[in-house]
Amino acid sequence: MLPQRMKKAMTDNPKKLANLIDLVNLPSTLREFMGQSQTSRLGCFKRVWSYIKENNLQDPNNKNLVNCDEKLKSILLGKPQVELTELPTLIKLHFPKAPR
Amino acid sequence: MGKLPPSLRSANFAVNTLIKTPSSSVPHSKIPSPSPPSTSKPHYFPKKSLSPKRKPTSNNQQPQLPSIVAFDSTTLSDAKTLFNSLISNPKNVPSDPKFYNSILQSFSSNSTLQDSIFFLNHMIKTHPPFSPDRFTYHVLLIQSCKSVDHSLSPVHQVLNLMTSNGFPPNKVSTDIAVRTLCSSNHEEQAIELVKELSSKDSPPDTYTYNFIVRHLCKNRSLSNMNSFIKEMRDGFDIKPDLVTYTIMIDNVCNSKNLREATRLLGVLSEEGYKPDCYVYNTIMKGYCMLSQGGEVLSVYKKMQEEGVKPDLVTYNTLIYGLSKSGRVKDAKKFLSVMMEEGHIPDAVTYTSLMNGMCREGDPLGALALLERMEARGCAPNSCTYNTLLHGLCKARLLDKGMELYDVMKKNGMKLETGSYGTFLRALCRNGRVAEAYEVFDYAVESKSLTDVAAYTTLESTLKWLKKAREQGLVI
Repeated sequence: MLPQRMKKAMTDNPKKLANLIDLVNLPSTLREFMGQSQTSRLGCFKRVWSYIKENNLQDPNNKNLVNCDEKLKSILLGKPQVELTELPTLIKLHFPKAPR
Repeated sequence: MGKLPPSLRSANFAVNTLIKTPSSSVPHSKIPSPSPPSTSKPHYFPKKSLSPKRKPTSNNQQPQLPSIVAFDSTTLSDAKTLFNSLISNPKNVPSDPKFYNSILQSFSSNSTLQDSIFFLNHMIKTHPPFSPDRFTYHVLLIQSCKSVDHSLSPVHQVLNLMTSNGFPPNKVSTDIAVRTLCSSNHEEQAIELVKELSSKDSPPDTYTYNFIVRHLCKNRSLSNMNSFIKEMRDGFDIKPDLVTYTIMIDNVCNSKNLREATRLLGVLSEEGYKPDCYVYNTIMKGYCMLSQGGEVLSVYKKMQEEGVKPDLVTYNTLIYGLSKSGRVKDAKKFLSVMMEEGHIPDAVTYTSLMNGMCREGDPLGALALLERMEARGCAPNSCTYNTLLHGLCKARLLDKGMELYDVMKKNGMKLETGSYGTFLRALCRNGRVAEAYEVFDYAVESKSLTDVAAYTTLESTLKWLKKAREQGLVI
């Protein structure tokens, strides 16, 4: 029960929720990739993941790896290959906490 | 608790809904059966169920009637003109008062109460064959209840109008007014009105009374409801009946208030009521809610001592409670007992039992039960699958879980939060992150969870995976 309660607390926490779904003005690199100037972290993640699927960028031998094309490299720290595991973390880098 | 969550929740949900249905339908399904009041009640009962539904019926009637009025404009003068033109053509004027009532109703649905009253007066004046009946005034009553703000003055106006026209408010009026007031969140006004009408002479009947009690249970505090019951008892000698007690016990059990539940049970027997099957079911459910599933057995024994015949819900609750408290053996025994008694186990029964078996670490047994259940012609629901998926993943039988997931996907079944999380963790633990992403896609696509919930679970699972890798727990 405990991990679930924690998860629930996470979505219940308005700040963390806002961090995930609030629209943010994007940095220029990301703006080019997304084709829009504002998006939420969740929207960005979904866009990147569907981009990977649409362009068959998953490594055929190990689906857990993504072979980045130039466009993807530009937003994922220029790495030629990323693990799906670290995708949320990499995307989070573009969404720094709002200074308060 | 760490071991139990989602399967518990899934079955919990199912059992709850199942149990709730009988207890909430109690007032309607049960009361007509006891013999003494039955002579008057059945007569009254249909009228009652008709009255709140009258709106749709009259609406349904509208298309059949010739050139029925659609009021595009909400002004009174336009409505009058429309009515005048309507009655000027003799073909258009049926003698059925329902016709006029539906006209009034469609006008009242988007006008003010004052205009509706004026319009009614106009109808009476210009068209003498029409004489308003009780239903006509009830249309106005509903409208007045909807337009209540802080004072009951619009309602009083209509009630006075009814009295002066020879239709003093009766039980039906009380019921309509109370239901309308409650559904528009005017509980205080409803209580005020009930007290007022009780002191005149249209007290609420048991249906209305129980409706208010249930509504207060859901929307107001316990003390609020108790003071209502006390006031009705002291002021007007209107006492709660067995159904009321069932509602109240159910309510306090839902909020895990054991002390109040025990007190109510005491009051129940003091008042000379003999608990029936519904009460016992509610008590059993209460124990399940309070995580004392094992106690259901003692309730069952008591039922047998008292000669109360258990129904399907009783057995379902029994099996659920026993499964929840880890007494799967006993639960299995009751599965055969209930079948001997002629009750056909349903998806809830099987799911509860599977839940217990999964919790005991026997998901393969639960899977076998799924086969047997299907062979007996009982279709599993998404709860069943979620319980099994959760159990299989917990027991590290990921391949079986994957098979099950494929079946779920094929049937478009939704994932529940708990089984979704467990499934993701199991996939990640086995280094199948890509598949976890696909499950995430399915959860979003099938609208099992909100995007946010699905993503946060995925994100935290991946975070957990990273940590576990760092610690060398997972490769």
